[in-house]
Amino acid sequence: MRFPTRLLAANLWVAFFAWAAYLVLVIVITLAIHFFGNLTQSAWEQAGQLPRWVVLFVGVAMVRQFLPLFIANGQTRRQFGFQAAITTALYTPFVALLMSAGYLVERVLYTIIDRPQSLERAHLYTDPTQVPLVFLEHTVEFMAWITAGMFMGAGFYRWQAGGLLTIPVGVGLVVLGLSAVGARFGVPMSGFSLGFRIPAGPVLTLVMGLGTFALGLLLTWSVIRDTPLRNGG
Amino acid sequence: MRIEARDLVLRYGEVTALDRLTFELEGGKIYGLLGRNGSGKTSLMSVLSAFRKQSAGSVLLDGAPVWENPAVTSAVSLIRDAGESVDLGTAADALYFAEWLRPTWDAAYAKELMELFGLQPKANVKAMSKGQRSAMGVVVGLASRAPLTMFDESYLGMDAPSRHAFYDALLADYMAHPRTIILSTHLIEEVSPMFEEVVVIDRGRLIVHEETERLLARGHAVTGAAAAVDGFVTGLTVLGEKVLGPTKSAMVYGELDAAHRRKAAEAGLTLGPIAMQELFIHLTGGPK
Repeated sequence: MRFPTRLLAANLWVAFFAWAAYLVLVIVITLAIHFFGNLTQSAWEQAGQLPRWVVLFVGVAMVRQFLPLFIANGQTRRQFGFQAAITTALYTPFVALLMSAGYLVERVLYTIIDRPQSLERAHLYTDPTQVPLVFLEHTVEFMAWITAGMFMGAGFYRWQAGGLLTIPVGVGLVVLGLSAVGARFGVPMSGFSLGFRIPAGPVLTLVMGLGTFALGLLLTWSVIRDTPLRNGG
Repeated sequence: MRIEARDLVLRYGEVTALDRLTFELEGGKIYGLLGRNGSGKTSLMSVLSAFRKQSAGSVLLDGAPVWENPAVTSAVSLIRDAGESVDLGTAADALYFAEWLRPTWDAAYAKELMELFGLQPKANVKAMSKGQRSAMGVVVGLASRAPLTMFDESYLGMDAPSRHAFYDALLADYMAHPRTIILSTHLIEEVSPMFEEVVVIDRGRLIVHEETERLLARGHAVTGAAAAVDGFVTGLTVLGEKVLGPTKSAMVYGELDAAHRRKAAEAGLTLGPIAMQELFIHLTGGPK
């Protein structure tokens, strides 16, 4: 099995430029609020919802777009599964790193304009400069979102409208990821905790996050392992 | 690359696309895969390329099963109209991945083909015209230099000059890099001069697998005075007739022995070849 150099590079490249553009946009909005309103909390925290959805759709595209491409270029489903797993396993911490960097850029901005970078919601971290915890929380969350996207993308690719049945499972993966970080976010259904009572702790969060990621990959593999390529589009 | 299919079955729910199909291709040739719409051509090539798993039976390429066998799948390229090998961002993106995934990829040749078909590397593939997307598929299919390369009607969207440029490129590259090529097409008269062997399937079953010249030798155009032609074709299988004044031309199917040829000469009749398409129509049951 080869290391997925180009698949990873292509996705990291797009992620980096999307993050840079998004960061500029958030900074502009932050300054607008500062000059024309009342800036009392971290804007980057509020902006954190969109990247989760982007990561989910990266997961969808991973199967919908790259599975047919890889098979049409002579790869097996097993080879694709391996390369997609490695790519997503490295892509999610990369995006988490970018999110962590976003907080640091914001800290510099808030220091310059003399505003408090306070957080609205509970997180693993209590201050945006606690980079390891910020990184861990985002990594665990993104791992859940990307595997949810891959699983649902695989379901819709294979069964088309029947893929609707994979949505509850995909939502379950996201909720499991949110449960792993032990916090509630403004995500639909995230208030549902699956009954887990997880004591705060990065090690348990990491274990739970990796478990969710592995579960999502296994579910995705169960769909794509013998999926036929569609005859049209 | 040698291809062996044994009792190959592919079902889509209640529909049987391949029905105990058995044949062998020794490889190293250009094969024409002919069949009517829904005959099972795409299904057959999808199984040969592991795009789909057969429902029953076996398919071996150089003696090895194809399904989930990377040593085999890496040697197979199927280019379809669906465009899965090129539908990814820009043309350059498609080539970027093909180069990395294909062990036999020839980047210089791909660039040459891009120029031949007037394709822009930065153009978005999904925004291209149908002809340009078809040409992209041709670029990926040829530059992959896969030991088994199949084109499933994937060049139909190209205009006539581009199609002929494709035929010329394919023949030149086949001569320089011999491999097994399968062309599925409805443009029989246009493409058949390239075929060394022809495989005809209908309703998922093998109708004919024969060398092109031998297959063509089974069809004859008998031309001459109408009465003489009518007398000559009595008892033969007549595929069609054309009349122009006192002259008539009848297409007959079947081997003509020395006695028939002598009889034709004595009656002043001319014997000539008929088109592959006429044979195809006859072999697949005539117009429906």
